[in-house]
Amino acid sequence: MKVGKVGMREETRAYWMMVLPAFVTYILVMAFPIVLSLVLSLSNYNGMKMFGGPPWKLTGFQQYAKVLSDPFFWSALKNNLYIVLVSVFGQLPLGFLFAYIIYRKLVKWPDFWQGILYLPSVISIIVVGLLWQTIFSPSGPLSEFMNNMIRGNFTEKLNAIFSQAGGFNITDGVVAKVLDLGGPAGAAMFSNPAAELKDLMLSYPSDQLGQLIHDLTNLFCPVWSPDFLNRKETAMIPVLFVILWLYTGTYLIMFLANMQKIDPQIIESARIDGANEGQVARHIILPALSGTVVNSAILAISGSLSSFALVFAMTGGGPSRITEILSIYMYNAAFLGRPDFPLANAIALIMVAISFALIALTKVVEKRFGGKE
Amino acid sequence: MSEHSGTGLSGKIGAAVAKGCAYIVMSLFAIMTVYPIFWLVMNAFKPTREFQINRIGFPQNPTLDNFSGAWELGEFAKLLPNSIIYTVGATVGIIFLSVLAGFAFAKIKSRATKPIYGSFLIGILLTVQTLMIPLFLEVSLLGIYNTRFAVLLVYIGSGLPMGIYLSTEFIKAIPSALVESARIDGAGYFRIFRDIIFPMTVPVATTLAILNITGIWNEFALINILVSKTSLKSMPLGMFRFSGSLSSDYGKQFAALTIGMLPMLAFYAVFRKQITKGVSAGAVKG
Repeated sequence: MKVGKVGMREETRAYWMMVLPAFVTYILVMAFPIVLSLVLSLSNYNGMKMFGGPPWKLTGFQQYAKVLSDPFFWSALKNNLYIVLVSVFGQLPLGFLFAYIIYRKLVKWPDFWQGILYLPSVISIIVVGLLWQTIFSPSGPLSEFMNNMIRGNFTEKLNAIFSQAGGFNITDGVVAKVLDLGGPAGAAMFSNPAAELKDLMLSYPSDQLGQLIHDLTNLFCPVWSPDFLNRKETAMIPVLFVILWLYTGTYLIMFLANMQKIDPQIIESARIDGANEGQVARHIILPALSGTVVNSAILAISGSLSSFALVFAMTGGGPSRITEILSIYMYNAAFLGRPDFPLANAIALIMVAISFALIALTKVVEKRFGGKE
Repeated sequence: MSEHSGTGLSGKIGAAVAKGCAYIVMSLFAIMTVYPIFWLVMNAFKPTREFQINRIGFPQNPTLDNFSGAWELGEFAKLLPNSIIYTVGATVGIIFLSVLAGFAFAKIKSRATKPIYGSFLIGILLTVQTLMIPLFLEVSLLGIYNTRFAVLLVYIGSGLPMGIYLSTEFIKAIPSALVESARIDGAGYFRIFRDIIFPMTVPVATTLAILNITGIWNEFALINILVSKTSLKSMPLGMFRFSGSLSSDYGKQFAALTIGMLPMLAFYAVFRKQITKGVSAGAVKG
């Protein structure tokens, strides 16, 4: 038998032949880019030929100083932070709640609900981004729905005015009420509102009350438009909503899988002893899932750092860069307008540093919770 | 009999209220998922002019023109084969390299295992999207920008950490006696891998396939910086063309998004159980 030296050599050779293809690929895709971005972020290399082109040299930490003094960096970081908050305090609790509802069989057809709630995750993020962009846009169904509601409400009020007046009966009182409904913006359309509006209304044949109400609605009813998309304080809300919608199903599945490992007898006996659903959730299920919750939180934070495509498709970071996140900020530095690769590399490395900080945090947490789960 | 515990009647009412609330919350979330998708598909059948005056209602004159138009304009006939090549190629690559290295990590003793396997574990939390700028510079430097090879390399490399973690843990659970007795019979490690281990890794290979297929098919951020030629692009890049200047042609945009969404919806409909299992397996480790 080949034990001794020959066996050892065969063993070592086999080991490296099995490990190296994966390891080299991994180095090329993950490790080398980190080193590259570290070197290039300290240099003035800006996408020219690396060798034989115009010379480039190391210039020190000036790119980092540039990033840290750029208000757009801080606004992008803040937006990433919002995503983290929505992930940790939105997706996780909701995912837990849904998992709990399904696990405790509070609803019928568990497979159906789980299937629907996870569905967003299998759709391309580009589809998700463009779809929700259209839904929130001024020409989208949200605007149409809001305006239909507002118009319906307005027509309702006009109907009430005319039915009080006993049909097509244009008195000064009716005109005043209509003007009142139209508000200051409506009155501003006329130089002499009361008289002009009365003439206008009297120009309709008396059997055309429906048409009159329709036209008055068109004239006076305020139009709702989603201008919150353009305001600095609110522009991120649709993005955050979609992120909440998109990933809650993933946490639902993670939590549910771990709940199903809990011994059901413990819960049954607690229920028989008189514990209600809330107490079961708080005192039995939540403690059993503490490791999963922490792991999910870390996963959510690191995931929120890497989100790119959704914001890229939904807002592109706009309007006027108020929805930019770090990855978009980096992408734009490199590819939008005059390329600034040193700056982009510095941003990449800052994101990698945050990732490593999170990985270190995981290690600490794993030690505290005694391994995983 | 848990429903009859608690405090009699008030307990029963409480349980009923809890159930009612559960249904309401779940339904709200479900509607937010089903309605937008339904709305999208429905509007893909409306001519753009009809959409502009009728955004919520059913199509009055349903037409398939948007689909043929979007198919042409998005050049999906070129992109669909690319998406299949990238998804199948990268998934097979990830599975093969992961199981191979996983076998070495799990069953061949070496001092190199700790640092190398450890570096793969770090990669699980390191998302490759944060590296897209240095990756772009790297592929330009290596002269593989605008090649299928670069796309496959990056996809395989970014799928390896999770793949290696799951395969190594899976193969560790296979009794070492199987390997040892084959060694005593004089079998080399590659033969042991091919004849004994590889056939046993079907479950973990299935999980890896499920985890990677949807992710790679839908991937956008990386391929966006790796290729610029239409002949190399994938479906998500084609769909993205319908934003920006083309986005005012709503009919075609909706048709393009519907076309892009369908393959994965079909995949999900068939493999929902396995996908769910794969996601929870991938989530064991944070």
